[in-house]
Amino acid sequence: MRFGICSPGESQVQRMTPSPTDAGPGQDQPRVLLVDDDEVNLLLTSVALRERGFSITEAPSGERALALTADWTPDIVVLDAQMPGLDGFDTCRRLRDLPGFEHVPVLMLTGLDDDASIARAYQAGATDFFVKANQWGLLTERLNFLLRSSRTRIELDRSKTRLARAQDLARMGSFDWMRHERGLRLQPEALRVFGLPPTERVSLRRLLRMVHDDERAAFIRLLREQLRTSSVLACDITIEQYDMLRRVIHAEAEPEFNDHGQCVGYTGIVQDVTDRRAAEDRIRHLANFDTLTGLPNRHQLIWRAETALEQARRLKHEFAILLIDLDRFKVINDTLGHGSGDELLRQVAQRLRGCVRHTDQVLEGALEAAGARSHRSLEAVGRLGGDEFVALLPEVAGELDAERVAQRVLEVMREPIVVGGQECFVTASVGVAIYPRDGDSVVDLLRNADVAMYSVKGAGRNGSAVYTPALAGTGRGKLERETALHKAIERQELVLHYQPQIDVHAGRVVGTEALMRWMCEGKLQPPAEFIPLAEETGLIVPLSEWAIREATRQGRLWCQRVGLDVPISVNLPSLMFTRSDLIDQIHEAAGHHGVPHSMLRVEITEDNLMKDLQSVIPALHRLNEIGVEISIDDFGTGYSSMSRLTTLPIAELKIDRAFIKDLGITPQSPAIVQAIVALGKALGLRVVAEGVEMLRQMDVLQRLGCSIMQGYMFCRPVPPEELERWIGSAVLPNNRPKRAVAVAPSR
Amino acid sequence: MFKSSPCRLHVSADDHGSPGPAPGGPAATLLDALALDRLRQLDPDGSRGFLSQVLSTYRQSLERHLALLSTLSGEGALKPVGDAAHTLKSSSASVGALDFSRLCAQVESLARAGDPQALAAPLSALRAEGERVLDAVRDMLSR
Repeated sequence: MRFGICSPGESQVQRMTPSPTDAGPGQDQPRVLLVDDDEVNLLLTSVALRERGFSITEAPSGERALALTADWTPDIVVLDAQMPGLDGFDTCRRLRDLPGFEHVPVLMLTGLDDDASIARAYQAGATDFFVKANQWGLLTERLNFLLRSSRTRIELDRSKTRLARAQDLARMGSFDWMRHERGLRLQPEALRVFGLPPTERVSLRRLLRMVHDDERAAFIRLLREQLRTSSVLACDITIEQYDMLRRVIHAEAEPEFNDHGQCVGYTGIVQDVTDRRAAEDRIRHLANFDTLTGLPNRHQLIWRAETALEQARRLKHEFAILLIDLDRFKVINDTLGHGSGDELLRQVAQRLRGCVRHTDQVLEGALEAAGARSHRSLEAVGRLGGDEFVALLPEVAGELDAERVAQRVLEVMREPIVVGGQECFVTASVGVAIYPRDGDSVVDLLRNADVAMYSVKGAGRNGSAVYTPALAGTGRGKLERETALHKAIERQELVLHYQPQIDVHAGRVVGTEALMRWMCEGKLQPPAEFIPLAEETGLIVPLSEWAIREATRQGRLWCQRVGLDVPISVNLPSLMFTRSDLIDQIHEAAGHHGVPHSMLRVEITEDNLMKDLQSVIPALHRLNEIGVEISIDDFGTGYSSMSRLTTLPIAELKIDRAFIKDLGITPQSPAIVQAIVALGKALGLRVVAEGVEMLRQMDVLQRLGCSIMQGYMFCRPVPPEELERWIGSAVLPNNRPKRAVAVAPSR
Repeated sequence: MFKSSPCRLHVSADDHGSPGPAPGGPAATLLDALALDRLRQLDPDGSRGFLSQVLSTYRQSLERHLALLSTLSGEGALKPVGDAAHTLKSSSASVGALDFSRLCAQVESLARAGDPQALAAPLSALRAEGERVLDAVRDMLSR
């Protein structure tokens, strides 16, 4: 210490005074650091303040005070100004430099007539001063006042910090602009929104220079107008910063008025909404554009067409819709896979864009601003869905204009398209409808373009047609037919005819194939007349389900009436094998009619099987598990993978009739049949020859080892009652001495 | 160090049946009764022996500073003299040694003014008054 004498602060006072870490004060007791070199005053002040509810930590010198505050922060510091060594002023300065002490209140104790010390105290960073005297009540009130102020300040600071944090998170900041005073003033958070340092001074002029060139003039006009009318400002502006990054800023401000009701300025906020705007743009894009091709989607096309139609109606000109459908796209998709199919659609989209004056973005507001010819910007190619595209021509001078575009479309499709390393030749069918001649609504125009397009398909594809009312008749016919087929089941117009399968070696019927017929308007329609339509419309599903039910019903009837319990084969499309309820349907039908599952046999063509192999296989296994055998129809014409064939749960191969037809005529046919028979034998499969019409064919087949046959030579497909009669009277061939064999149940 | 019973010192100066600055004694003229009463109010029932603790602390401080002042002279002594006077000024006022406190204030002021010649007589008076106050305090503590 200064005089080399034992300091009271280190002895007596220290003994009396708990350290900050001693059993501490109550939570709500203000913590006071009391610094005084005069031990008498230190003792007196300390005791007096403790009496009044303060928690006191004493320090007999500035040095000791600094040591204590190295790891502890009091609520308030009471500091004697005059002290030997580090005096109150220097101690105060050092405290202020400590982290966390910037705003801790410091009360400096000075002499009564010591004005110089008072001034120095404030300069050193003291919050207030107090004249040394034993007026403890006054001192207490002063301390309480400073503590209240401090708490308010701390709360305010916290509140400001929270607000700044919230604004920061929301990328928002506040500003004000006073017309005749200080001009524009941005809070640090607002400066950050503009990408500027928090201490930067920014003029309105400079901010306006940051606004993107395309928007600046309009924004200045808007500001002037809002100011003139003293109205609320709310707008989005694009700014470009030094880093050349564009940001979208939302500005919102309200006018401030003086006592005379005059607008003196604005206060408001700015917010960086770049991300939000980008998300909105993305949503808008997703809602309006096809993700695969990037072309306008159905929604956007309809909007453009409606707008174009409105303009055409107003300006009394024609506009055209071209419906473009790719020919046999499904084949490409099925053969090369969906990935290649998608790539093909992208390339086609790119080519089609070049056929018109395609405009990607059309802004609703901009359309009106662009004037009388604004509808031209609606011109585009879009994708309706699947392989269907639309070209929208907002203004044409007659159908020749539209036809020219249609020809251009056909022309660009002539070049091969390379997908998956393979060249593909894709053609299109284009149907054209013109407003107002072919319809006065977008729906009518699209429908009629569709009719025209289908007429091209019907005429062999790869062409274009302009709609005429005559074409509509054809379309209506198809529609009517579709409706009639819908009702065929409930009207009980569908029937199954049956063709027997005969084992000529054993001389007996070993099965029948159910073949569907449609009694439409008194005429019996063969499958080729309605099955394609049923497949196209999805009606094939209820038709197949009906066939399963009907075949099991008939099987039960035959068992009861003539004791015939051979399997009945039902042809099913591959679509049925991918339906989860196929097994349930079979269970239900067999259960309902009380026949074993093995009464039913399902046929799938080799083409269909191989096309959808992966999705069909699970159903084949499940069918096998419940006792339903699988037969591969039209075998030999498709592209079966031999390795896959060995693993498939199949029971029967039916040789395609094309090979049977040529038996005894071309030398190759017996070879193919022989190969199939050998394959069947090797895999343990039954081999059936269908389409056997002549004795010659039967002889060759027998010689080649195929004894199960089906064909006109034995019996054409006939109604069930007729088949019963046929069975009752048939004379079947066999290798034994020829004799009439009564067909008997033989399984 | 402090031999008297604390309870004797906490009693008001008006209470003639109790010790305190006795009429005619050195404390009676040197230590202000009102000031001492204010100190007693900080420990009204005297249970903590507060007054004797304060006086004892003051006595030690006074002894130390008087000893220091007796060794100081010349220009180099101005600052330590001023500091000592400053310390004694406020603590003396607190225990009621008001005249002595005023002398301290005078000496502090002259020391700060930096004139050793002008300081000699008041400093001498301060030392003499200090000794008298010290006696009075010792007297109070010894009762």
